[in-house]
Amino acid sequence: MEVRMKGRPGEPGLARQQLCVCGEQLSAQASAAEPWPENAELYQQLKEEQILLSDNASSLAVQAFLQMCNLPIRVVCRANAEYMSPSGKVPFIHVGNQVVSELGPIVQFVKAKGHSLSDGLDEVQKAEMKAYMELVNNMLLTAELYLQWCDDVTVEEITHPRYGSPYPWPLNRILSYQKQWEVRRKMKAIGWAGKTLDQVLEDVDQCCQALSQRLGTQPYFFNKHPTELDALVFGHLFTILTTQLITDALSEKVKNYSNLTAFCRRIEQQYFEGQDKDGSAAVAARSAKRSLLR
Amino acid sequence: MAAPMELSCWGGDWGLPSLHPESLTVMAYAKFSGAPLTVNTINNSWRVPKGDVPVLISEDIVISQPAKILNFLRKQKYNADYELSAKQGADTLAYIALLEEKLLPALLHTFWVEAENYSSVTKPWFASRIAFPLSLYLPGKMSREALNRILLTRGGPPLYSLAEVEAQIYRDAKECLNLLSKRLGTSQFFFGDMPTTLDAFVFGFLAPIYKVCFPRVQLQEHLKQLPNLCRFCDDILTFYFRLTVSGHSPAGQDTADANLRKLTQLVNKESNLIEKMDDNLRKSPQHPPRKLTTLKLAAGGEASSPLNRLSP
Repeated sequence: MEVRMKGRPGEPGLARQQLCVCGEQLSAQASAAEPWPENAELYQQLKEEQILLSDNASSLAVQAFLQMCNLPIRVVCRANAEYMSPSGKVPFIHVGNQVVSELGPIVQFVKAKGHSLSDGLDEVQKAEMKAYMELVNNMLLTAELYLQWCDDVTVEEITHPRYGSPYPWPLNRILSYQKQWEVRRKMKAIGWAGKTLDQVLEDVDQCCQALSQRLGTQPYFFNKHPTELDALVFGHLFTILTTQLITDALSEKVKNYSNLTAFCRRIEQQYFEGQDKDGSAAVAARSAKRSLLR
Repeated sequence: MAAPMELSCWGGDWGLPSLHPESLTVMAYAKFSGAPLTVNTINNSWRVPKGDVPVLISEDIVISQPAKILNFLRKQKYNADYELSAKQGADTLAYIALLEEKLLPALLHTFWVEAENYSSVTKPWFASRIAFPLSLYLPGKMSREALNRILLTRGGPPLYSLAEVEAQIYRDAKECLNLLSKRLGTSQFFFGDMPTTLDAFVFGFLAPIYKVCFPRVQLQEHLKQLPNLCRFCDDILTFYFRLTVSGHSPAGQDTADANLRKLTQLVNKESNLIEKMDDNLRKSPQHPPRKLTTLKLAAGGEASSPLNRLSP
């Protein structure tokens, strides 16, 4: 059981558990103009025994973004979430009769419904925001994928047991190796295959340093109001900080930057706490917070 | 004086010092920081360097990949980012990530995947610079690697056909160009009036799109609608590479250039001396090479009149 739990990411106070509003008929054609429904759902893999670092980070980023937009969402955990998603990647949201996956398209989709966090920015700030979002994808996300699919110890101890957990033998091994092969090909194509773990951690450090410098003493990246960049950074850093891996090397890199840990704590308190009814989630959130404060 | 540094990279054409984005980035950075690189363009010889081009060789150290080469140059005190604030350093990293994620796939596609461009321009150009039997093999390999990279990083559901992936990467690239154009605005370089690492990267990615004459020019057409980015490329080509738009410098400017070069060498020697003395005295780890560049520009103003109109 102990090994199973390894690699389980901490979770901020669970996104509000919304009951389906029964009896409300949804129109068949949910168009862009339609308001956000009360029963919107976000799908991801099973929290306790399945989801991996990178997927949890992406899912948390979308949850944070929707919370910042003040749009209610219910998180649904499914073992086959990856195969349900139109892009093969989690998370995806199910709103009305539309299904949208990944942060970028979700931001577009939500914008079409009239909710945007970045409307107040000028053109230069928008360019800057996009650049930093690419930095997070280019460095943090790739480093997470590297760690969980290319670092042999992590692959053996955490990734394969968790990734294959819903399936019986030999399917669990086959699917894990298939995914591993796919990710390693991608790493090779972008020139990361030859990197050592230390070099990857160095990249993470460089990225965190850049984010820390950019944030400075402001509450959010663009001062008073959160944007999708804040949601993305929170998703990744919070997940890295609260996930127990083989070593603490990755989270130590983030902990070196006190303004980034304070930033994660602030967003957690503001957007994920106080809406929580689930006892176990509250415990998880508290333990997550402890690890943040350490 | 540090050990001599040699850079092996792909050569140029169409008024560019190099056709190859990575090579161009390193060359531009060397010019910006005043690093004395001996540039060896790869030309039909068996002396193809090991590893990925561009390769920097300094004594027995061999470095490839632009980011690593630039780091090495910085350690040799050729630092073009000396005056940047910490936040500007962070911005540099972020915009380089933007270029790699959004612009690079379309750039690779234009050069190596678009069939017409590849067979009529890229393949003959690179093949003519590679020794015989390899010339039959390497261009094809580079093309396959480019296609592989595009498909692995940008492909996958819901984009099933190559045409859909292409449409998406060109949309991304055009958006990236627009963002860069807005970020640059009316200033001469990305961080004021001195070029830095970010300018080297942007120049390395944009100049080939801007100058190479391909049959299919989606990106070039879009870039040409953004006058400030075109002006940015032209400025760097004329200021730092002394290449006019036609690719040949007029005779008059050549003599002026020769004088300027002598002067620059003198100034370089002087400031190297000063730097050494300073180092010995103060043991400061870094000394602003910026001084060097300003001196160079000021000297340019005196030595040659054609440069006058170009000085900021």
